[in-house]
Amino acid sequence: MLRIATQKCCDQLPSRFLPFLSTKSGAAVATRRHQSTDDKVEVFVNDKPVYVKPGSTVLQACEIAGIQIPRFCYHDRLSVAGNCRMCLVEIEKSPKPQASCAMPVMKGMRIKPDSDVSKKAREGVMEFLLANHPLDCPICDQGGECDLQDQSMMFGSDRSRFLEHKRAVEDKNIGPLIKTIMTRCIQCTRCVRFADEVAGVSDLGTTGRGNDMQIGTYVEKMFKSEMSGNVIDICPVGALTSKPYAFTARPWETRKTETVDVMDAVGSNIVVSTRAGDVLRIIPRLHEDINEEWISDKTRFAYDGLKRQRLTQPMLRNKQGQLVTCLWEDALPFVAEKLSTTEGSKVAGIVGGFADAESLICLKDLLNHVDSEGLCTEELFITDGAGTDLRSNYLLNTTIAGVEEADLVLLIGTNPRFEAPLFNARLRKSWIHNELEVALVGSKVDLTYSYEHLGDSTTTLKQIADGTHPFSKRLKDAKNPMVVVGSEVFSREDAFGVHAAVSAIAQNATVTSQTNRGDGGADWKVLNILHKVASQVAALDLGYKPGVDHIRKNPPSLLFILGADGGAVTREDLPKDCCVVYIGSHGDVSAPFADVILPGAAYTEKPGTYVNTEGRAQQTQAAVSPPGSAREDWKIIRALSEISGMTLPYDDLEGVRSRMSEVSPNLTRYDAVESANYFKQAAELAKLAKPQLVSKPLQSSQLSLADFYMTDSISRASKTMAKCVKAANEGLTPDL
Amino acid sequence: MGSFLKLLHRQFVVPWQEVVKTIRHNGASDGGYFPVLRGFFVQWARFNEPKHGKLVGTDELGNKYYENNRYFVARNRWVDYNKETWNQMWDYNASQVTPEWHRWLHYMTDDPPTKVPPTSRPFLIKHKRNLTGTKDCYVPYSTTRPKIESWKP
Amino acid sequence: MALVRLLNQSVSQKLIAASNVSVTTVQLKSFTNAPLKDEDRIFTNLYGRHDWKLKGAMQRGDWHKTKEIVLKGHEWILQQIKESGLRGRGGAGFPTGLKWSFMNAPPDGRPKYLVVNADEGEPGTCKDREIMRHDPHKLIEGCLVAGRSMGARAAYIYIRGEFYNEASNLNLAIREAYDAGLIGKNACGSGYDFDVFVHRGAGAYICGEETSLIESLEGKQGKPRLKPPFPAAVGVFGCPTTVANVETVAVAPIICRRGPQWFAEFGRERNTGTKLFNISGHVKYPCTVEETMSIPMRELIERHCGGVIGGWDNLLCVIPGGSSTPLLPKHICDEVLMDFDALVEAQSGLGTAALIVMDKSTDVIRAIARLMEFYKHESCGQCTPCREGVSWMNDTLKRFQRGNADPDEIDSLWEISKQIEGHTICALGDGAAWPAQGLIRHMRPVLEERMKSFHDNKQKSTA
Repeated sequence: MLRIATQKCCDQLPSRFLPFLSTKSGAAVATRRHQSTDDKVEVFVNDKPVYVKPGSTVLQACEIAGIQIPRFCYHDRLSVAGNCRMCLVEIEKSPKPQASCAMPVMKGMRIKPDSDVSKKAREGVMEFLLANHPLDCPICDQGGECDLQDQSMMFGSDRSRFLEHKRAVEDKNIGPLIKTIMTRCIQCTRCVRFADEVAGVSDLGTTGRGNDMQIGTYVEKMFKSEMSGNVIDICPVGALTSKPYAFTARPWETRKTETVDVMDAVGSNIVVSTRAGDVLRIIPRLHEDINEEWISDKTRFAYDGLKRQRLTQPMLRNKQGQLVTCLWEDALPFVAEKLSTTEGSKVAGIVGGFADAESLICLKDLLNHVDSEGLCTEELFITDGAGTDLRSNYLLNTTIAGVEEADLVLLIGTNPRFEAPLFNARLRKSWIHNELEVALVGSKVDLTYSYEHLGDSTTTLKQIADGTHPFSKRLKDAKNPMVVVGSEVFSREDAFGVHAAVSAIAQNATVTSQTNRGDGGADWKVLNILHKVASQVAALDLGYKPGVDHIRKNPPSLLFILGADGGAVTREDLPKDCCVVYIGSHGDVSAPFADVILPGAAYTEKPGTYVNTEGRAQQTQAAVSPPGSAREDWKIIRALSEISGMTLPYDDLEGVRSRMSEVSPNLTRYDAVESANYFKQAAELAKLAKPQLVSKPLQSSQLSLADFYMTDSISRASKTMAKCVKAANEGLTPDL
Repeated sequence: MGSFLKLLHRQFVVPWQEVVKTIRHNGASDGGYFPVLRGFFVQWARFNEPKHGKLVGTDELGNKYYENNRYFVARNRWVDYNKETWNQMWDYNASQVTPEWHRWLHYMTDDPPTKVPPTSRPFLIKHKRNLTGTKDCYVPYSTTRPKIESWKP
Repeated sequence: MALVRLLNQSVSQKLIAASNVSVTTVQLKSFTNAPLKDEDRIFTNLYGRHDWKLKGAMQRGDWHKTKEIVLKGHEWILQQIKESGLRGRGGAGFPTGLKWSFMNAPPDGRPKYLVVNADEGEPGTCKDREIMRHDPHKLIEGCLVAGRSMGARAAYIYIRGEFYNEASNLNLAIREAYDAGLIGKNACGSGYDFDVFVHRGAGAYICGEETSLIESLEGKQGKPRLKPPFPAAVGVFGCPTTVANVETVAVAPIICRRGPQWFAEFGRERNTGTKLFNISGHVKYPCTVEETMSIPMRELIERHCGGVIGGWDNLLCVIPGGSSTPLLPKHICDEVLMDFDALVEAQSGLGTAALIVMDKSTDVIRAIARLMEFYKHESCGQCTPCREGVSWMNDTLKRFQRGNADPDEIDSLWEISKQIEGHTICALGDGAAWPAQGLIRHMRPVLEERMKSFHDNKQKSTA
């Protein structure tokens, strides 16, 4: 926490003089300087003494004193612009009020945020801001959560004396996600700074000057970022609002459910806004160790996929070979009968990326009860060597926040920008502030920051592992190196070879980094696996086999598919007489060839446990109830067990969770990262199996922004995501 | 003496005459099962007061309109619903009165449409009773799309 | 004339007495405002009658013993400048010696730069361009001396884009100086390496503000930076930088040559030296002229410009220091001295010493409204008060010009201008607010009269 605090402090330095892009070294120098200074500075806020870190701003000092200074352009995680002038405060001995967001504190400074001068200054600035701001609050989507609205109530005057004509600005089309009403813009440039600094896409900027200054893209183009939706949250007025959410609801009408995202393996914390059983929008929730306050566009906008292609009724395949809706009373006994008559070894299950740990444990218990061992995850992983036996083998061990301590990152076969946008945002943050160096073995992609591309051949990997590659030297010199492997490499035929090479690289780097740091402690973890789907870590924790090889080798007669829509198994892979039971929320890839469909709940509809790629267990909450006859997945399996006469020994959520913690205790230690160990042993085991590497290049399947939007059953059902793909591929059209 | 007789007549004879007239009147309105008494009891049950009066006219639906100024105003004009209504016993409704007779029945005018026929206008539509409670009644339905679109195999 | 002189002297003494400067600490020297003698002029080729190239410049004394000056070291040069009492000629009037000495912080490995602000865009001002086109070597030599005083590696001359000929002359002069070994490696044979670069702006008034000039020089949008950090700590390309006006830089060598005492002779205490005055507007002969500081305004106008058209009594008002200073009505102009302190006393400012003289034929509201239109056009749009406030003032003044307003709105305009002043990132907000304030302060009856006649006419036309 201390580290994050200091980091934050450095972030908030007026970085106009520590420019983000041109002089990276400036920021780093400042970081070190402030870390070494421990004593605090005494300043007076309204004559009350407060102690703040040197280098903090007046605004932060006031915040410590419990006084909120109004602001528009200032944002914790962006550089300081100081242009809105709303945060002006009077400082004794200063002839004019100072912008508190940019003014560093000085010893003995007497700040008067409640003086008449300060109040008058704010009122004046507020009057100017409102002068050209349209009076369309009644039709503005920001109404109710608008900084300008709130602050004009708090600090503004109660009447207007503006008699001139108001300015009007043409709206810009910047893609299917963000709606712009540029007349409302107050030119705080938060969006411009977000795009430049956090998203790393300098698409937005200002054009024109004076009263004609406008925010825009200059030529009409899409704001091409996987994190573009965050500008909606940081816009203090209604200039940038959500296009899919436009005119849908007011914030005070909606019910907010704090939950967790499952669209990728990062597990971003989100708030789901619902009204009358309808998911209206998804916004981020603060979690410093995972997503800070950003979320990716897929997390934010794919929610309309939760309302389309849904499985709402149980279905059975009739004699004509057609799926027809039926009642639970028809479907469950049918499956139960199959289950009890099929031999255990002929029963198997595949779980997909959205399966929660509760349904995973239920399915595992049920299938184990009939003596089946055919429990597979759709995502592949290695099974040789230590395989999934050692947790350190399949976690992002450094943790996401740990990236900020790293000084060298080697990415292997991954494109973190699209596989885990928020992990990539961390990398970029660290690249800007801490001089993080990044190298990549894999497809050459745009990561929004500069990196060293070491090629995409496995030979390079082998050379780095041997120490013959020039990069090995740098890895050796690094104090806090990270090696990040994308989970996609495990779908290669030489997955184990890659993993063994990576383990060797990581193990060497671990040893050298310990000597470099000189502390000898083993708390810095080098090896990292970056997963793509939310369920994988929990499934591996619970003992599922990665990959569907087992099923291919042992053709089942009864196959349970728990939301697996990645197309790992098709009808052709299965025997003719195999009965396929699909439990899941969407009719996507697997449902059409199922014989029985048992409609399950999506992640917004159930309290479920998910473990993110760093091994952090988190739980989702039910924001709405499952549609139609759909039920929570674990309850379906529990009901099935009862009808089959193999009643599972739990009948409520607490029961399931206590069973989960029997199998893997970390699954119920919510929000705690259960760190893994035994890296050395894992590396040793990896060597034993004599892995081979083939010459196929290490490639990533998500290369461009268009590949990012539709990757799973929910986002494939989403119209918004389809529009994004269209816009990213073909450019903007008026209907987007 | 004469006045005493008149009193007696009013007290004891006229009521019976009224009863007879009423039975006769109402009997005439129902050619059904019990020609005499059924109509009487039905009217009694409907109006709380079986009445007799002069037939003023019949509307296009077959409702008959009566008037008897012996009763005080607001009771002196009434409608006797048509045959179908008789068969349905209690399913009668003020909206079954046609508009032109409605005027007369509610004292908006003293001239029944038989005497002053209503002007016909091309835009006038045929009167239809309120269908609420019948099998033809209006049932509201949702015009919003379902929030969840189900998958169709 | 003698009478006038006497009058002025007494006035200046009165002004000094009225100021809060304690007489015990500041020794006031008596001064005479005798006409500046030709031998005391610094800019001897102001009107371009002589050769502006190196040969002519050397004949006029430029580059004379520059090596010796450079070799004396930065301490000595700074001492000379400090003793001379030179104040920045760009408008703010910050003591130059003090400003340049900020650059002598312990070195941290970053190079230091001198940036010369030749983005002369202030309406009414035309002094720097005269230096650059007719005496460019003065500026180049000044760059070397000033650069030496702050240990700068190079000087960037940010010249206004519209000054094409000036930039050409300057570039030529720089070439000559390089060829003659006066600048560049081992400048003047002093062993000091010093480069001079010319950067042409693209025509934005705001780029004359020091931090936005730095931004523009770096290739970004010319928008002022927040201070602190000041350019002396983090300036152009993140290095310590001093931004100085052309005139300030150009007078540095001659101060070093002739000595600070010579320079301090002219003008009042704390307002010493000679100064280029630009007089435009309703005078017989508008001109740029070098005069001593603290010359009475009336004498300046009458001695060099042939007086106000129609005589001094025909004077309405004068904007004393470029468009961004508040105007002064005739009764103040009668007596005011042209220096920093006296004009501040008179609630105006010396600015760039560009006098805009208006006689009684002037529609003063229209004049100020036109200035406001200029400021509206030139506001960078970065910070709120200036972006929103200046265009608001512009709209209001447009109505005032016709009289289509309520007298209460004069107070409203005053308040708006006060809400802009001091609340912006740079001084442009102040500069835009002051003309309106000057108008209201001194010309309120004119405004009210205009409004009254407008409403009377309106009533008449409707009646």
